[in-house]
Amino acid sequence: MKASWLKAIVITTVVLLGLSMAQKLTFWHYWDGANGQVLQGLIERYQKEHPGVTIEAVFVPGGELLTKLQTAITAKQTPIMAISDLVAMPLLTQSGSLAPLDDFIRQSNLNLADYFPGPLVYGMYQGKRYSLPVSASDLGLFWNKNLFRQAGLDPNRPPRNWDELLRYAKQIKEKTGKWGIELFTQGGEGTTWQTQVYFWGAGAEFLNANNTAPAFNSPQGVRALQFLVDLAQKDKVAPIAPWGLFGRGEAAMVMDGSWMTQFFPQQVNFELGSAPFPYPAGGRPATNMGGEQIFIFQNADAATAKAAWDFINWFSSTPVQVEWDRGTGFLPVRRSVANDPAYRAWVSNARPLMRPFVDSMAFARPRPPVARYPQISDIFAKYVQEALLGRLSPKDALERAAQEVAPLLR
Amino acid sequence: MNGVRLQPTSTAVHRGWRRTLGELPSALLFLLPTVAVLGTFNFYPALYSLYLSLFEWNGLSPHREFVGLANYTRLLASGEFWNSLRVTLLYAGGVTLLALALGLLVAVLLNQPIRGQALYRVLYFLPVITPTVASGVVWKYLFDPTQGVVNRGLAEVGLEGPSWLSDPSWALVAVIVVGVWKRVGFNMVVYLAALQGIPKTYYEAAQLDGADSWQQFRHITLPLLAPTTFFLVVTALIDAFQVFDLVYVMTSGGPLGSTDVLGYYLYRQGFRYSELGFASAVAYVMFALIFLVTVIQFRLTRGGQDDA
Repeated sequence: MKASWLKAIVITTVVLLGLSMAQKLTFWHYWDGANGQVLQGLIERYQKEHPGVTIEAVFVPGGELLTKLQTAITAKQTPIMAISDLVAMPLLTQSGSLAPLDDFIRQSNLNLADYFPGPLVYGMYQGKRYSLPVSASDLGLFWNKNLFRQAGLDPNRPPRNWDELLRYAKQIKEKTGKWGIELFTQGGEGTTWQTQVYFWGAGAEFLNANNTAPAFNSPQGVRALQFLVDLAQKDKVAPIAPWGLFGRGEAAMVMDGSWMTQFFPQQVNFELGSAPFPYPAGGRPATNMGGEQIFIFQNADAATAKAAWDFINWFSSTPVQVEWDRGTGFLPVRRSVANDPAYRAWVSNARPLMRPFVDSMAFARPRPPVARYPQISDIFAKYVQEALLGRLSPKDALERAAQEVAPLLR
Repeated sequence: MNGVRLQPTSTAVHRGWRRTLGELPSALLFLLPTVAVLGTFNFYPALYSLYLSLFEWNGLSPHREFVGLANYTRLLASGEFWNSLRVTLLYAGGVTLLALALGLLVAVLLNQPIRGQALYRVLYFLPVITPTVASGVVWKYLFDPTQGVVNRGLAEVGLEGPSWLSDPSWALVAVIVVGVWKRVGFNMVVYLAALQGIPKTYYEAAQLDGADSWQQFRHITLPLLAPTTFFLVVTALIDAFQVFDLVYVMTSGGPLGSTDVLGYYLYRQGFRYSELGFASAVAYVMFALIFLVTVIQFRLTRGGQDDA
């Protein structure tokens, strides 16, 4: 009896010791469904290759992750690693609860120059880098080839500039009675991030260079908003209506995200085309981007933080990222992935509609990394709506938006 | 005041005192779970939020700045807040009055001996127990300007319906319609119970005196329903003042703030803009408003006790 007790105690101690020696890394993320499975597969392989390291991936629904991180940070009960939507990064870096990654990056010789510039803008705070991009998405043009044919347009030639966009849209409205292009008019970030693409394309900036004042109320900005207002009010080729007309075949063109290259083909009963979003003559190619960033929390001890970094470094490596992007349909954050022959072959064969979106990553721009961005975005969207509804001129709308945004950046 | 009636006489207090004292430990024991749960999840957060309303804090920063009443003064100076208040009053007033009238109408109709009465009751009550989010999503489809049932129906009778949820002048109307739809069944059930509690003899006496059915309704039914009406108005107003989910699903407060009710305004400030101090101040202003409305109603109707 005594002996068996002793045995039990010894075994328990050994097991506990073993567990405490093994690195257990908790990792909060919001990748669900197929994406979550791809992640789990990669983690299992990493664990097999690195005995002694256990990565406990915890799924938190996307809408709750930031709130949960807030609670965890306040309660000092953070996981070791987490991801976040890039828009929330300024808030997180300023919380003082993330670990700077610069030393790790230097020691591992991680080549930041290989990353696309857009996603790298996030995660910087007071000269230090606190996060790395691990996935991306961007916006582009989709068009309905059937409606193009019905309108007598070449179904394989998307508009290349705003003049063509307007001309095509008018012709479609005239010949088919359908809307030329669908705009996101429902307000909020949906309206802002689409409108930013038009603004950037026309040469306008959203905020000034050091993000301390609004810059959208420039002549180029007014020109861009005027173009959108004309589409809706003057030429009446874009409706002010709930989102979803393009998918139902009621609008011939739409700006939508790279993820729709997966979903549109399953949803629509017409032939699809995709292209980088057109910009006006004298403008520049531009698009908006989303994605996730990965980071380590500061209260991890040195050994744990190093183990977490080793995983991040592995996850960020080109071959793993190729696999990750193929499995999930996320866009590459590194040029070496976008140019990888296996990746390019996969895009051509499995997801041909995604090619223009991959190419657009080179000029995809970040939304300004400021903590008050959500509020600024809502104000901007509100005044875009005022202009689209014809209640304010584009110039007045942007001036008033600038007046409301300015105090939030001081 | 009717409260006096509830007070036990002093001898009763005296007699019960010793026994009460002896039962105190077990009473406390029985109360403990409730007090613990309420304390942890209701009272502590409520007080903490009052405390937070004096700070500027984004929920993540290690630094909280004490700003005194600045959040409240900023709130009262904000055009968006007054817009929210106006929208909330319109919503609460619209839903309360319409649902009250419709609920009474349906209750009176269902109080008649008609076939399938139970079925109708179930049908009218269904929206009450349907989850708000699901209702909101379905109504969003119904209000779709081109594909939705509402505008198709209007087109049948030769009317061109507006772009409901995208039109700043119609979005609130659409949300109120859904709010009423969800409330009518509850009012109906409560009214029905009250109607069945009115003695038949009153009506018989009135009929002998030659009162027509409108006079009976006006002079017997309505006055005797007054306490019920009071109860329904108070609960409906409190409910409507806190509306959030319906707006969140249907319009996200838009277009152009036309459905930006206080509940949604608070959510935006707290959980989209991470302004936890300011959002706490909004919550306390909401609390004060609801409290004020209830007190005013109580005074006006004297608790609905002797309204004739």
